[in-house]
Amino acid sequence: MIERTVQLLIDDDGLTLEELSSACAVSFEWIERHVESGMLDVAAAGTMRFTSVQLLRARRLAEIERTFEANDELAALVVDLIEEVEKLRGRRRP
Amino acid sequence: MEFKDYYATLGVEKTATAGDIKKAFRRLARKYHPDVSKEPDAAERMSAINEANTVLSDPEKRAAYDALGRRPPGQDFRPPPDWDAGFEFSGDESAPGQDEFSDFFANLFGRAARARRGADAASMRGGDHHAKVMIDLADAYHGATRAVTLRSARLDTQGHVVTEERTLDVTIPQGVRSGQHIRLRGQGAPGYGGGPAGDLYLEIEFRPDERYVVDGRDVTQRVPVAPWEAALGASIEVPTPSGPVEVTVPANSRSGRRLRLRGRGIPGAPPGDLYLELDLVLPPADTEAARELYRAMERETKFNPRQATERSR
Repeated sequence: MIERTVQLLIDDDGLTLEELSSACAVSFEWIERHVESGMLDVAAAGTMRFTSVQLLRARRLAEIERTFEANDELAALVVDLIEEVEKLRGRRRP
Repeated sequence: MEFKDYYATLGVEKTATAGDIKKAFRRLARKYHPDVSKEPDAAERMSAINEANTVLSDPEKRAAYDALGRRPPGQDFRPPPDWDAGFEFSGDESAPGQDEFSDFFANLFGRAARARRGADAASMRGGDHHAKVMIDLADAYHGATRAVTLRSARLDTQGHVVTEERTLDVTIPQGVRSGQHIRLRGQGAPGYGGGPAGDLYLEIEFRPDERYVVDGRDVTQRVPVAPWEAALGASIEVPTPSGPVEVTVPANSRSGRRLRLRGRGIPGAPPGDLYLELDLVLPPADTEAARELYRAMERETKFNPRQATERSR
């Protein structure tokens, strides 16, 4: 059986603070702390909305922090490196 | 359901200390981290490692698990009634990914267990799920519909977890880029106590294709050309993701030369550009006639491809 369902491309209007918190299983405070310290960007200055890229980044940050009990800065450094590797791998042909 | 040997998953002895377990978990988490690992089954391995760690790193869960005794992994298994009497699991339902753990976990420690213990009185929203969908670059140009098959768990009337597969029809919008997410409301984990279901997030990824390199909406396509096309210039037909295009190769083009076709990248506002990267392909010297042509070129052109490097020495 094939179901039909409501689908949204996230970047059409971005995720709210509540939605990002639920999607990454993190608290509002966690998100606010990471935005304030510049480890996580928002879709547009002055808003608390998040794009696909930021969703993926937030999930990675939270996951590295949990798995390795890493502090925020170290997790951000690891995620920066993961993003860089991903970019370089994308430029190389398979 | 299958019995899971969590000690074997983490590669530790049953007598391992909390420190040993933590060490083993972190070592494996580094090895199988899906963003870094090149193992093809890294995501599944990581989920199994997380599940084993969730049980073994929690003293109460570990004690209850140990009380089951050890069995061969994969053996069909039903927990004895009241197997967990006397153990009090502290709730850490907030830890993500638990909805995606095995039936074994769900029945012993997860939602089924909580439901049987009546601990689910409060209504709670189900967790959000994440999955990847691989699409072809052409799907981003034209849009597409993809049937996505998901495995999900549901509680039967006895409170046991049963796994069922369901197929969702997902519309891939035109202009989608790698790394974007599509959100499907209510397709995540079912809620508790009448709470709403979570959402499903699908991350779009392009299937690797040696013809293309994609950067945002810009696409670079490798176009093989013959030496005479590159040297003399030519008008060639190139099959691009948006259809065949007639392109002029300028005379004296080198291998690697990029020709820009404005607006022929991934559609959008503004659309990306398509770069055609010329890839000079030599005809094989596999017949006497072909070898003679190469010899004639050698005689006639006096061409030295290393002239520049020799001069700089």
